[in-house]
Amino acid sequence: MDSSGSVKAEVIKQVKTQYAVENARLLVEKVNEHCFEKCVPKPGSSLSNSESTCFTQCMEKYMSAWNQVSSTYVERLRREQ
Amino acid sequence: MADGGINLNDFDLAKLNESDKAELRQFFANEGQKARIQTTVHNLTDMCFRKCVTGTIRSGKLDKSEEGCMANCADRFIDVSQLTVKHLQNLRQS
Repeated sequence: MDSSGSVKAEVIKQVKTQYAVENARLLVEKVNEHCFEKCVPKPGSSLSNSESTCFTQCMEKYMSAWNQVSSTYVERLRREQ
Repeated sequence: MADGGINLNDFDLAKLNESDKAELRQFFANEGQKARIQTTVHNLTDMCFRKCVTGTIRSGKLDKSEEGCMANCADRFIDVSQLTVKHLQNLRQS
């Protein structure tokens, strides 16, 4: 590849990675916030089985909710543009 | 994306030819728009999850009512944000 093309490819790669990392960071932050609140109301000396089951399900639920909002919002944007 | 990010000075941008520059400009515009949409989705999910998922967590799936609630919540929030803009425009005109 010529040097212009390789600089371009490198910029694109790094920017995409950066966005993906930021997106994942935000998702993790929100999942922890919501699911800790819901599943660990009274923190004990260790995480119980039921707490960790709840947390896993809550995490899956949150991601479904994210996808639901995403498709609703994107569909709305498409309709109104 | 403010911090910990990419410094374009680390790249040898002088090597870019005009067509690659144009392509990159388009790429940045597209990615920026995608990022704005994603940020909105994060905020809406945060808000609506609080409103719609109120009971104990019993499964990893959204049940039908939660699913409908999430969609309605996102849609109604967009309604009110549009209402705000419209109202402010009316105020400015009168």
